[in-house]
Amino acid sequence: MLALVYFIILAVIAVGAALCVLLSRHPLYGALSLVVSMVSLAGIYGLVGSPFLGVVQIMVYAGAIMMLVTFVIMVLNGAKDKRTPMFDGVSFFIIPAVLVLAAMVGFALLRSTMTFDSATVAGSVKVTSETLFNMASTGPGYFLLFEVIGVLLLSAMVAAIFLAKRHLGSVISENTEDKH
Amino acid sequence: MDIIESKTWVEWLITIGKFAFCFVPVLYILLLIPMERRGAGFMQDRQGPNRSYIKIPYFGKIRLLGYVQNMCDGTKLFFKEMFAPKGANKFLYYVAPAIPFAIVFLSPCVIPWFGPMVFEWGDKSVRIAGSIVDSDVGVLLLFGLSSLSAYGAVLAGWASKSKYSFLGALRTSSMTISYEVCLGLSMMGILLLAGSFNLTDIVNWQEHHAWGIVVQPVAFFCFLIASIAETGRAPFDVAEGEPELVAGYHTEYGAMQFGLFYMGEYSHICINSFLIATLFLGGYSVPFVTTETMQAHMGGSLAILFGVLAFLALAFLHLIYRYSAKLAKRAQSNKMEILQEYKLYKLIAWVAVVVFVALGVCAWLFYNPANFVVNGFAVGSLATAVGTALIHLLVLVVKSVFFCWVWIWVRWTLPRFRYDHVMHLGWKIILNIALINLVVTAVIAKLVGGN
Repeated sequence: MLALVYFIILAVIAVGAALCVLLSRHPLYGALSLVVSMVSLAGIYGLVGSPFLGVVQIMVYAGAIMMLVTFVIMVLNGAKDKRTPMFDGVSFFIIPAVLVLAAMVGFALLRSTMTFDSATVAGSVKVTSETLFNMASTGPGYFLLFEVIGVLLLSAMVAAIFLAKRHLGSVISENTEDKH
Repeated sequence: MDIIESKTWVEWLITIGKFAFCFVPVLYILLLIPMERRGAGFMQDRQGPNRSYIKIPYFGKIRLLGYVQNMCDGTKLFFKEMFAPKGANKFLYYVAPAIPFAIVFLSPCVIPWFGPMVFEWGDKSVRIAGSIVDSDVGVLLLFGLSSLSAYGAVLAGWASKSKYSFLGALRTSSMTISYEVCLGLSMMGILLLAGSFNLTDIVNWQEHHAWGIVVQPVAFFCFLIASIAETGRAPFDVAEGEPELVAGYHTEYGAMQFGLFYMGEYSHICINSFLIATLFLGGYSVPFVTTETMQAHMGGSLAILFGVLAFLALAFLHLIYRYSAKLAKRAQSNKMEILQEYKLYKLIAWVAVVVFVALGVCAWLFYNPANFVVNGFAVGSLATAVGTALIHLLVLVVKSVFFCWVWIWVRWTLPRFRYDHVMHLGWKIILNIALINLVVTAVIAKLVGGN
């Protein structure tokens, strides 16, 4: 009962903040709403009995990544966007599609015979690490995925540096052309 | 609901009473601000602000060793008009100072203030954890919250619509991101040794093996530097460096909004010094004595505690007597007022000495409670548990006050780093040392076979 009350409070905050991300015209307000949404999501993680995930959510996403995002927004032009219309012709197709998808997912979730077992979702530090890094051949093999994601991130980083370098080079050449 | 019903009223009383520890950082502000000002005066060979007084009829003026000055400053800040500069983003401008201050109340929740209280109540033995939230994520929660508190500075700088504030905010966000990494990595060694994120377990490990500063000396210094940098104080106060940025992100703030930033900064120092004391200085554990030994000789331990308190009161008396003797010879115009004030302090301190000695003797002679050992835990009465908790709390406070002094000491001793030097130190030196320390610790721990 108590958990349900907490869940409703956190869920309303999370969904409301997510809507604010969509609807706010100011990039900084959007980023802050995203932070609020992430923090309340962390609260929900804690509520279902996996505080480790919740804390990691706060530390990594709300703390570090969103801090970087706000940093970028502030360095770039963080002004209110008045030119882009909120709805245009494409919205007529996208909004019904999103609503139908949401209805389908909700229907499927309601009809499915899911039972909530707190023992299966309880992800303390020990359970999480044991599941993630179980290297036995009979284990779930999540550590392989973990390594693959590491390689993926590394390649993404290399690609970003490559793109940035090329871009920087062109900017410099443009600037020199302007000067001549 | 079964959790609620299975607990007795004593457990609930203590569990709810523990929420009072949320106010510890705020209370520390009262201690830290005079300490900072008089400490700065001490280092610069001057007196520091101590002239404000309260006039008590038929007695004289009371200055409380400079405390009254801080009350005056607080009152001034509190009653000043709040204003926002033209063109500022009003909403964020007013909300920003509240963020670090709100987080101050949340962060003490995972610090163990005393060892787990284990005692007999009725026919069952009860265990109450020393931290408000006894979760196995422990210290990570603290880091998550402290990384959120940087939003206050960042948003304040952006919303003020001032170049100086904005530059300060940018520097704050980059500093926080950089030094959070160093902080986390340098802490990992001791977590690896203790095998837990839970601070109670870490303190327990230190109590039975060795203090963190002994087994992880390199990590200790990395952690100390990174946490000084994270609080944004000199020599790392590039975010509000006066010669470069006026006052950094709070240039445009005044009144209690500035006060909230100010209090947030001092509370952050308090939290970080508690964290260092817990991670590297054995937390609440008494040096050279385990909790079990202490509980087995509760009366004697309490007697020693009161003895220490009586000694501190005597030391204070000594200072007062020495200074009054010096003052009596001088030709200072307000000599008599000060001597009158000191008479009050002497009276209070002598009463305290007598009371402490009497309590100590009583504890030694008449208090010898019986203890039983159940599953390796010493289980005693509620009084024993509370006594142990008090001793633990006092030990932790002493350790953390020492680190608060380190903060002040560093601030008034070292000159400020340049911004690029700070980044260089963080990313190229401390981060690498912390990484190497972590790898070496992991290898040694594996070879020795701990965990």
